[in-house]
Amino acid sequence: MAAEDPDDKQSAAVVWARYSQIAFIIPAAVVVGLLLGKLLDYWLHTHWLFLVGIIVGSIAGFVDMIRMVTRKS
Amino acid sequence: MPEQLWLTALLNKYLAGVANAILGSVHVHPAYPQAPITNYVAMQLLVFVILILFFAIVRARLSVDDPGPLQHVAESLNSFIVNQSHEVIGHGYERYVGYLTVLGLFILVGCLIGLVPGFETATASPSVPLGCALVTWFYYHFQGIRLNGFGYIKNFIGPVWWLAPLMFVIEVCSHLARVLSLTIRLFANMFASDMVTLVFFTLFPIGIPIIFMLLHAGVALIQTYIFVLLATVYIGEAVAHEH
Repeated sequence: MAAEDPDDKQSAAVVWARYSQIAFIIPAAVVVGLLLGKLLDYWLHTHWLFLVGIIVGSIAGFVDMIRMVTRKS
Repeated sequence: MPEQLWLTALLNKYLAGVANAILGSVHVHPAYPQAPITNYVAMQLLVFVILILFFAIVRARLSVDDPGPLQHVAESLNSFIVNQSHEVIGHGYERYVGYLTVLGLFILVGCLIGLVPGFETATASPSVPLGCALVTWFYYHFQGIRLNGFGYIKNFIGPVWWLAPLMFVIEVCSHLARVLSLTIRLFANMFASDMVTLVFFTLFPIGIPIIFMLLHAGVALIQTYIFVLLATVYIGEAVAHEH
């Protein structure tokens, strides 16, 4: 039997819960990127990886957000 | 010495030595050795005891012919989580119902316990939502690895091989951000709800705070629902590649 894609039959509540993530996902990803960058700076004795972390975090936030809003529902 | 609830003071009176020994075994030294148990830890222990009692009573009085009110409550909660898990996760959802039910009950009781005079909202401390979020995070990755094995890593690298290193870093960031967003949402909402209720208690000690206590109960229900729903969605995404 063909497996069902769970995304095919999502109720409004599930979509609503997913969309409630949008407000949090970009700032959370930026903070996580910053923290990871700071950690790498601490380990590798550098002073610029936190900037890379912020940029990667921002990209991760945007990628996740775009993926979330374009997901079929 | 921090301000202690009566239950915290009682626990510290009898269990401070045990708590210090446990913390010492992991090289943690509490700021106040005479009071190592904080209010939110005491509230979590209370929630734990309440849930154990709830399940024990329901189990002892389980009856097909004459179900009691507690059994009706337990069955309603279970069927709610079953329906939601079936809708979101699909085939094989049964395995995750137990975890999601307990997670939901723990958060809900932890939020609502703040309405009882003499107690505090457990989830209004950032450590409690963080604990729930971390457990959920490890749980859904564990389930993903258990079902998909090494293939679970494909979720992180995307379909284009030359973009894989970048996608891996982005996905790791994105997954870690889930812990932060789950934590902040629950903590901030419950903390704000507590503060609003407290402010109105200070301004109007009679009558008006009831509205805000009802609001607190509403916020608790909504936040529990969102937390459990997102945990279900994350589990669903982690185990989806099995099919």
